Amino acid sequence: MDRNALKEKLKELLISGLRLQDLAPAGIADDQPIFVEGLGLDSIDALELLVLIEEHFGIAIPDEEIGKQAFASINALADFIVAEQARGS
Amino acid sequence: MTRSTRERVAPLAPPEPFVAADALVGRHALVTGGTRGIGRAVALGLARAGAGVTATFAHAETDAEEMRALLARHGHGHAVRRCDVGNGGAIADLFADLRGAGGIDILVNNAAITGDGLLMMLSDTSWDTVISTDLTGAFLCTRAALRGMVARGFGRVINVISPAGITGKAGASNYAAAKGGLLSMTRSLAAEVARLGITVNAVCPGIIDTAMLADVAPPARQAMIARIPAGRVGRPEEVAHAVVFLALPAAAYITGSVVNVDGGLLVG
Repeated sequence: MDRNALKEKLKELLISGLRLQDLAPAGIADDQPIFVEGLGLDSIDALELLVLIEEHFGIAIPDEEIGKQAFASINALADFIVAEQARGS
Repeated sequence: MTRSTRERVAPLAPPEPFVAADALVGRHALVTGGTRGIGRAVALGLARAGAGVTATFAHAETDAEEMRALLARHGHGHAVRRCDVGNGGAIADLFADLRGAGGIDILVNNAAITGDGLLMMLSDTSWDTVISTDLTGAFLCTRAALRGMVARGFGRVINVISPAGITGKAGASNYAAAKGGLLSMTRSLAAEVARLGITVNAVCPGIIDTAMLADVAPPARQAMIARIPAGRVGRPEEVAHAVVFLALPAAAYITGSVVNVDGGLLVG
C-alpha cells in the first residue's frame, strides 16, 4: 500500500473505529497531534485505536513509550506501521 | 444483639436454569480455579446459560476429570486445562491458545490460595505465593484478556474477592491484602474501560458450603453461623447466580461494584 493510501486508511480507521461522527478524513491533518487538542480524544480512545491498529495491520504495540511515539500524528503512525511490517516480514 | 447458633434451613434452590439457556450463546468464558467449589458452580452456571467455558485448575487432576464430564452435559465448546495462575508463563501459554480460539468475553478471576499465619511469623514464601496467585494472577489474566474485549467492544471481568479483603482478617493478612488489592484493581479498571463495553465487578462470597467448610468442626461451625444474619451458610450456586447475572448483556450498566453473596455477613 503506498504511503498516501495508508494515511487515508488510517484516517478512515480513526473515524470509524472511534465513531467520530462529525469528522471526515479531510478534517485530519497528517501532522496534527491525534491525542492532544483538536480531535477531543483521550487515553481510552488511544487504547481502542491501538487494538484496532494491531488487528488491522498485524503488528504489536506492547509498550506504552512506543505507543506514544507511534500515535503522535498520522505521519508518525504511518511511519511506525511501515517500519513494523518491514520488521515482521 | 446475640444471635442464635442454630443453623437454619436453606430455602429450596430456584428451578434451574434461572436464566435462559441461550443467554450467553456465542460467548466464551474463562473461570480460573473452575473445577472445584465456587469455581465449579460458576463454570457450570455459565455453561448452562450457553457460554463456552474453559475452567482451569492447578493441581487436582481428579476434580478436573469430574469437571470435564459435568461440562460435557451442557452443550459444547468447553475445556478444562491445567494452569497455575501463580505462574506468568503458564498464563501466557493459556492465553496464546485462547486467543487462537477466538478469545475470552467473560473472565472470572476465582483461583485463590490461602497461606494463613500471624503476620510477624509469615514467611517470604507464604506472602509471595498468596500475592502471586490471588492478586498478580488476576492482573495477568485480565491484562491478557483485555485486548480481545476491547477489539470486540464487549467484556465482562468478574473478580471473586472475600470479606477478608474488605474488613481485614487476623491470621490472613496476606490473603486479605491480595483480596483487598483485587477489589481496588476492580474499581480502577472499571473506570478505565467502561466506555469500551467492558464491565468489571467483584463478587464477595461469605461463608459458603464447600469442601473447605466440611473440614470445620461442629462447634466452630456453630460459631460461624452465629455471625451470619441469614442463619445459614451459602450454596456455591448462589454465588454462581451473581456471577452469571453480571456476565449478561442485561448487566451492562453495572460496573465497579461489589456484590456480596454472604447472607448479610458483612453488614451484620
